[in-house]
Amino acid sequence: MIWRVLVTLLAHYRRHPGQLAMLLLGLWVASALWSSVQAVNATAKDSYARANALFSAEVDQLTRRDGQPLTREDYLTLRRAGLPVSPMLEGTLEVGEVRLTLIGIDPLTLPNDNALGGDGAALTAFLTPPWQTQLAPETLDILGLSRREAPGATPDVNGRHQLPPLALRPDLPPDTLVMDIAAAAELLESGNTLTQLVTAPEALSAPPDGYRLSRAATLASPEQLTDSFHLNLTALALLSLVVGLFIVQAALGLAMEQRLTTLRTLRALGVPATTLILAILLELLVFGVLGAALGLASGIWLAGQLLPDVATTLSSLYQADVQRSLVLPWHYWLGSLAITLGGLLLAGSGVLWRAARLNVLALGQSQAWRRGYQRQLTRMSQGGVAAAVIALGLVLWLGRLPPGQGVMASFGFVAALLLGSALFLPPLINAVLRLLQRLLHRRPLAHWAVADSQLQLPRLSLAMMALLIALATNLGVSSMVGGFRLTFLDWLDQRLAAPLYINAESSTLAPMLDWLEAQPEITETLPTARGDVDLLAVDSKGGEDTTRERIALFGITPSPTITNRWPLLDTQEGRSAAWAALSAGSVFINEQMAVAKQLAPGDTLTLDTPQGATRFTIAAVYPDYGNPRQQIVVPTEALVQRFGGEIASIGLVATEGAERQALRQALVDRFDVAPDALVDQQEIKRLATQIFERTFTITRALNGLTLGVAALALFATLLAQARERQRQLASLWALGVPRNTLTQLPLYQLGGLALLTGVVAIPLGIAITWTLVAIINVAAFGWRLPLYLFPWDIFITLLTAVGVALAAAALPSLQLWRSSPQAMLNKGAA
Amino acid sequence: MLVLHQVHKTFSTPQGELPVLNGIDLTLDQGESLALMGESGSGKSTLLHLAAGLDVPDQGHISIEGQRLSSLDEPARARLRRQHLGLVFQQFHLVPSLNVIDNLRLQARLAQREDAEWTAHLLARLGLAGREGYFPEQLSGGQQQRLAIGRALAVRPSLLLADEPTGNLDEQSADTVLALLLELVAETRCALLMVTHSARVAAPLDRLVRLHLGRLEDSHP
Repeated sequence: MIWRVLVTLLAHYRRHPGQLAMLLLGLWVASALWSSVQAVNATAKDSYARANALFSAEVDQLTRRDGQPLTREDYLTLRRAGLPVSPMLEGTLEVGEVRLTLIGIDPLTLPNDNALGGDGAALTAFLTPPWQTQLAPETLDILGLSRREAPGATPDVNGRHQLPPLALRPDLPPDTLVMDIAAAAELLESGNTLTQLVTAPEALSAPPDGYRLSRAATLASPEQLTDSFHLNLTALALLSLVVGLFIVQAALGLAMEQRLTTLRTLRALGVPATTLILAILLELLVFGVLGAALGLASGIWLAGQLLPDVATTLSSLYQADVQRSLVLPWHYWLGSLAITLGGLLLAGSGVLWRAARLNVLALGQSQAWRRGYQRQLTRMSQGGVAAAVIALGLVLWLGRLPPGQGVMASFGFVAALLLGSALFLPPLINAVLRLLQRLLHRRPLAHWAVADSQLQLPRLSLAMMALLIALATNLGVSSMVGGFRLTFLDWLDQRLAAPLYINAESSTLAPMLDWLEAQPEITETLPTARGDVDLLAVDSKGGEDTTRERIALFGITPSPTITNRWPLLDTQEGRSAAWAALSAGSVFINEQMAVAKQLAPGDTLTLDTPQGATRFTIAAVYPDYGNPRQQIVVPTEALVQRFGGEIASIGLVATEGAERQALRQALVDRFDVAPDALVDQQEIKRLATQIFERTFTITRALNGLTLGVAALALFATLLAQARERQRQLASLWALGVPRNTLTQLPLYQLGGLALLTGVVAIPLGIAITWTLVAIINVAAFGWRLPLYLFPWDIFITLLTAVGVALAAAALPSLQLWRSSPQAMLNKGAA
Repeated sequence: MLVLHQVHKTFSTPQGELPVLNGIDLTLDQGESLALMGESGSGKSTLLHLAAGLDVPDQGHISIEGQRLSSLDEPARARLRRQHLGLVFQQFHLVPSLNVIDNLRLQARLAQREDAEWTAHLLARLGLAGREGYFPEQLSGGQQQRLAIGRALAVRPSLLLADEPTGNLDEQSADTVLALLLELVAETRCALLMVTHSARVAAPLDRLVRLHLGRLEDSHP
């Protein structure tokens, strides 16, 4: 019997293919956007897992206290002393425009149960000439080889190097080559130098004399760093899923309403209520599987389009490498299907509830719709109040949390805010329409239009709620990105104080500095330096905390060119005093460190310097956008002399008439640096801005798609009720309202409703921007942004709302214009 | 009042051209009532729609109060309809979003000819007094049709066109609605052209014409 019932139910869609299309469209877009983001996340997670599996985050590392590079002698000395250290060499090989990371290891001494190198014959092949290059299959593309050709191949790299025979290792990260340290040293021409000495975690209880020990636990893995980024993506995808499910619910509700008579007839003919519900469930399952299949296929395509930009973002923001081709584990497929089916069940729960409570004796399906909808509006208001209370509770709780915490609560706050506003929207529109009805009582056509809008509200409300959510998110995110862009560009202007910069190896920069200072056309040299240091303790208002953590050091030259422009967020006694304090031995810390450790100017840090543990006062906190790690600033000179740091770049201020080309040539001739070692400040800004724009590509894409889905929801709803609308309008036409006016009426009605929705979206969007810049960004990136509002963006939001509505109403209006009103009257009679 | 002269109308169908009206001549004077009968598909509703300016003839001309409909563009025909014509349909075509009183005065307001006293009188005559705030879905079929008649007469039209106004009602309701319709027509002294299948409904009207094979056959009741 259930099959017969199912066939009878499905027959409805044969007569109303538009509704079926709307239902599948909703499922399709919801599933597509969700599965595309999940595909991106799954691929990124796979890359992180492979990177972690390699070793970097799971071993303790040794470095020299004097800041000198590690050599083979260091390794031998430590091994002779019986310490279980293993040497590593890391460098890059450039293949075309791609940089491959080359890692040389000694598999015999490598700690942990690292399977690199293998055992038996494989180990022999790895350890002995001609050695072996292990790489992930995804890296083959860069080398121009297919999977079939790869094993044993010895490709040339840029005509200079020949790689040892290739061996595929799917568990390696992309763009990475692993080989024996001897082979790597030859390829990298590194001579006696090593880049790391590693040991198993906790294998050494204390660092050997002259060395520093960094514990594995203090080295953040890419997965930890990027967690918030992926959470942001998931939240946006969830939003798209919800908006798509709005379409599904609208389609199911409409089909249910039109099939009530059929359902009652079936019940009257002896179909038990449980069979009816099972048949509807089965119907939902069929649609769910179909929608999920369509969504998965499009989602994977979309993910493929978005992945390169996401990979660039993750690389530039977090130095986390993500492969450029998708990796989709089994749980991705199952999860996507489950989410689509779960969402469909949720959207269809109302239909199932109505079917379960179906009154066989009820006469007319439209009876008492008005009273029914009033009840629904009351329930919506109650739900809205509940969501608003939750949002208020969360924001109060967030206010009590220290900065940088409460990402999940922030998303909960945004979700409650969106849900509450969406639930309040139909009651609000209803109230406004009632007021308008009273005000427009003397203008019959306007009065009719308002009353008719009220009649349409039950069906339009879901689409309007979807539009509200999409508009508010769009405004919120675009204001955040716009504000970030302004702040970032301003910050870049301040940070890049020198007109020219030289980037080269540290060993070249040190002698270059002396030469540059002797050149008459160079008025000022501003060297920067890099290094790192172990943080031993922090002393703040919250008390003293001891720790051992590796922190990056950055050296700057506190000359007026820098001190007049370098941005500071917070100082103890003003800018001048802060710079004076820096020159006198205090330090600056970046915002990320201040947030993470709850530090402020005046607090102190204890650092493990080559001279022993030393306390430093924090003189200022500076913004450091784009840096995922905590950082301490000291004068360049102090960094080189006291912490063993290396010169990282040199900023140059030259005289007006200085010949840049001549200077570039002199640098190439004298110091054998690449011609692009001398970079113009403008070029650095252009590159930084380019990276910034790419960072938000996926955000913008998801945002735009969500708005597109909301437009589709509105369009699908209007199409689904077009026939009934035509009958209403045909009646007016018969009463003497010109067809021109009739065609415009739906545009005014829907445009007005959308404008109202847009107006509600503005404060909601601003609240989302605030949450993003003040809470989520701090937790995700470690920095807070000022709240910027852009009147143009707000105007665009209103324009988009009306535009989306008019675009959605255009086709039904065109249909109306093209069909004969007489035929419409007859259709009504049918 | 209403003049149809040599009116022809042909519809295109997938099976080819289908002539529906074949040189119709008809005159209806003020205060006169006319029943138009014929088999299903004989073109009764088409003739009514042409008379209302809802459609245009292929040949011939139609005049209402001396105005040739063919000389009017669509907005002008719409104006004529809302100011001088009343239409009553078998399916009522009430506006579900408006309550009884707003439905009743809708056309009069559109024509900017609302007369509050007349509206109140109509409401009482229709038996809907006290139900002004009801919506169409809350009324019975007979009440809905009475409301539709009231809406058509609220503008005090010079010509009332009714398409099977009792076709959807049971016999008792049909009799009540018809009696009310004729009383109000007499009260407003408008002309009435009514399409009906029922000889019983046609009987009280002044004249009866039958439409057969696209031509009118005069037959007095």
